[in-house]
Amino acid sequence: MRKLERRATICLALAAVLFMGIVVFGWRFVTNGGEWASFYGNTQIYTNGQINRGTIYDRNGTMLLNCTKSGIEYPQDSTLRKATLHAVGDPAGNVATGAINVYKSELIGYDLINGTYNTTAEGKNIYLSIDAEANRVAYNALNGREGTVGVFNYKTGEIMCMVSTPTTDPAYPSSTSPESAVYFNTFLMGALTPGSTLKLVTAAAAYDTLDDIENFSFTCDGTNRYEGEKIPCTGVHGTVNFETSLAKSCNGAFGSLTRQIGPGQMMNYAEKAGLTDSIDVDGIHTAKGQFTFPDDSPINLSWAGIGQYQDLVNPCAMMVYVGSIANEGQAVQPTLLKNSNFLKNLTGGKSLGRYLAKTTADKLKEMMKYDVQMTYGESNFPGLDLYAKSGTAEVGTSASNSWFVGFIDNPSHPYAFVVWIKGGGIGYQAAGPVARSVLNTLIANN
Amino acid sequence: MTIGGKTISGIFEAILNFSVSNPALACHITTVLRWVFVVLAVYILVRCIMSLLSTRATPEVWGYFYVQDGQSYPITHWENIIGRSNSADLSIPLKTISKTHAMLIRRPNGKWMFKDLNSKNGTVINGVQLIPSKRYLINAGDEIVMGGVHCTLAAMSVEETINIKHMRSLDKEPIAPWKILIAITVFQALAIVQLIIGMGSDMNFSSMLAIVLLCALMWGYVMLFKALGRKGFEMEMIAFFMSTINLVVTASSAPYSTLKQFIAIALGLCLMVFMCIVLRDIQRSKQIRPLLAGLSVLLLIINLVFGSLRYGASNWVEIGGITIQPSELVKLAFICIGAASLEELYNKKNIIVYALFSLFCLGCLAIMGDFGTALIFFVTYLVVSFLRSGDFSKLILTVVGAGIMGIMVLRFKPYIASRFATWGHVWEYADSTGYQQVRTMAFGAGGGLLGVGVGNGSLKYVGASNTDLVFGFVMEEWGFIIAVLLVLCLITLCLFAVNSIMAGRSTFFTIGACGAASMMLFQTMLNIFGAVDLFPLTGVTFPFVSVGGTSMIASWGMLAYFKAADMRKDASLAIRREVDNA
Repeated sequence: MRKLERRATICLALAAVLFMGIVVFGWRFVTNGGEWASFYGNTQIYTNGQINRGTIYDRNGTMLLNCTKSGIEYPQDSTLRKATLHAVGDPAGNVATGAINVYKSELIGYDLINGTYNTTAEGKNIYLSIDAEANRVAYNALNGREGTVGVFNYKTGEIMCMVSTPTTDPAYPSSTSPESAVYFNTFLMGALTPGSTLKLVTAAAAYDTLDDIENFSFTCDGTNRYEGEKIPCTGVHGTVNFETSLAKSCNGAFGSLTRQIGPGQMMNYAEKAGLTDSIDVDGIHTAKGQFTFPDDSPINLSWAGIGQYQDLVNPCAMMVYVGSIANEGQAVQPTLLKNSNFLKNLTGGKSLGRYLAKTTADKLKEMMKYDVQMTYGESNFPGLDLYAKSGTAEVGTSASNSWFVGFIDNPSHPYAFVVWIKGGGIGYQAAGPVARSVLNTLIANN
Repeated sequence: MTIGGKTISGIFEAILNFSVSNPALACHITTVLRWVFVVLAVYILVRCIMSLLSTRATPEVWGYFYVQDGQSYPITHWENIIGRSNSADLSIPLKTISKTHAMLIRRPNGKWMFKDLNSKNGTVINGVQLIPSKRYLINAGDEIVMGGVHCTLAAMSVEETINIKHMRSLDKEPIAPWKILIAITVFQALAIVQLIIGMGSDMNFSSMLAIVLLCALMWGYVMLFKALGRKGFEMEMIAFFMSTINLVVTASSAPYSTLKQFIAIALGLCLMVFMCIVLRDIQRSKQIRPLLAGLSVLLLIINLVFGSLRYGASNWVEIGGITIQPSELVKLAFICIGAASLEELYNKKNIIVYALFSLFCLGCLAIMGDFGTALIFFVTYLVVSFLRSGDFSKLILTVVGAGIMGIMVLRFKPYIASRFATWGHVWEYADSTGYQQVRTMAFGAGGGLLGVGVGNGSLKYVGASNTDLVFGFVMEEWGFIIAVLLVLCLITLCLFAVNSIMAGRSTFFTIGACGAASMMLFQTMLNIFGAVDLFPLTGVTFPFVSVGGTSMIASWGMLAYFKAADMRKDASLAIRREVDNA
């Protein structure tokens, strides 16, 4: 008997396996429940393959998408639908980064305790951080050109405006292929040649690593041959110092600075600026930037420091970097959800850590102001305390791509922005007015 | 009865009218009921589980064994091994005694039997040299000389008997069933209300009647056996609770089968009572095994000849409009045939008969293509073989033999191989081979911890949702907490079985309880793990919860093996009551 009693513990082993299985499943249930519940085969929350509950609003309560049992409802204004397509997403899920995809489990009202059950079966209201009106203004300002506009609050991280073109009207989509360019959110997923906007990174590296930077001097003759190769500028800048070289965006001077900084430190600063990382925007992972700073070719190294050569940046990451200059070197994680939390509005958004030393950030800020005063003209941006840098990226096509990045110093409206327009030509001329309209709309609206 | 029926149908109409005319209020009732169900379920099951697991029965003592040096050993089982080995029940650490020297067995009539197990130095009783492996009846006071060591068997004195009785009466008594009964009744009543709210006019009167009848059956059963002096009802309470969930699942998914499902529960209960009464007498239990074996062989052959193919396995037989699954009933016989008394364990013929029977069963199941059930039989066979022999070389042989059989099944049944291919990444096959699993998880997750409310589920529109995927069904409608509690119930039954065999009388009941526990546990494992992609989906039922008549009857029958292991004083109806003659 006793022998058998001992062996009977084999039952306990079976029970333990069953128990462990339940624990494993329970863990998966807790961690993946929202994703499971929002599976398209869940007929509780899908009618005819479309989500049947939940509404998406902008930060001011403008309805952007309303899922009901009888189908999807959109706002009346077609422009608004097109301008917010990439933020809101389309019901078919072609915009992978759209809110309807990313916040699906929130939209259907999933929570661990109740699952998808709620008394009214109406799902949840989601308030995006974007301002629909600013999106509409940005879309109109792009005026049919391909590009992207992003604005965020560099204190709280809320993305205030996010437009990407080409776009389409989700109510009458021009394409059903998820591969189509109209569903691609350039702001989050693009990787673009940064052009002169990268000089903000090179300048930070120069300021931190070069001795005697205050006495830096370079004489620009417009072609700036180095070892026989040209590093041309748009004009003859003459003798420039550190500040004026950025204001005039002198390629020759920045080529020289880059060579002095060296490939190792250049890479280090591109990484420190967060440009090589993917940023987590509420679970959406932005495209990573790429850089090659060759140590065997001074001329290519020079171009890499000017934002050409093989450089690629993501617009959102660039915006976060510029925001960190405004925020004394501290980078804040961008988010697409409106802060309903009062405390969070006071304490600021989630920190991504320090990108720059405070002194470096302050120096760059000062230089960006100088840039606006000297090159872009403050009178072109009335009412905005603007700090900016433009870029004109050459990508081998006839027309260059325009960049305009920067921020405004306004305690009530701490916004950093990025504007990119494909084939727009001279950076600030094409992209500057877009930034101005959007910023003015945001200030008026919020 | 007609008046009662009218009253019930009146209540039914009233609730239905109320919920149709006040849909918003009905929704709020659902919201609240979801919490109430969880609280009630936790109360019911925690009470049963605590009562079962806090048991520590004082062993019954049937006599004493005196050794010449003055040492005395209480005899706590009906079947005892005497020997030098640590694992002997009466372990006498003297060199002249063999490791497994002899066997001492108490007959139900109180007589003792002695058998020498080919010991090295032999046994002499009252001066007579015993022939090895031959039974001898002995009496208290007989002089037993084992390898030169003088021993005697002493019967219990009246005083000692009273003492033990007193000790056992101090044991923690099984909890009284009344509060739990009331809780289950409330649960059932509220389930009816929620079913009507959730299902609306899809709910039919017979479903409600079935639940009311289950309630009546439960009260009737407990009152009857309480009146007959039985005290332990935790296992039945657990089974009644799980059966309630089963009826509600049926009412929600197949309303017109609810009454049929109730009949299966009633039949199952009758079968359990019948089996318990049979199991009271070990001789009788042993004697019916050939009959059971014959019936099983017959059933399986009928299945092979007349079986109809469903979901890739032909494990169903239709007789006069009723479909049954013979293999479910064979499970009960399989346990009984596998069980053996200690004496039989030393008998080669018994082992061979069991092995042949197992081989036959597994062969039939392989032909039917019922891979899941074959696996259950196989694992049960392994556990029972291990209990019986403990000899690892033998175990390895069986593993190899059955492993080859498993490979054959895999080879011959490509669809099973394809199920293994899907395993672990069902989400990639969400609309093909992973269809059922991903929906189990999606709808289950949709239920959250509290469920979407009985009758409101949508998994019911997926094939086999109330059998193979019933875990997901319960998760969706009742919530994760109740679904997990159901599993914990079965685990508790198993823990209780293991706990109580420590005071077991005969290996027959120990093997029976452990075999039944292993079978249930493994079956539950296959069912749940298969549905949620922790294991390939094999299509077996969840004991007590899956919808299906034969499976329900078999689950209740299985309970008899647990009841037969319950040695608490006056607790189980499968144990003959102690006659108070002191």
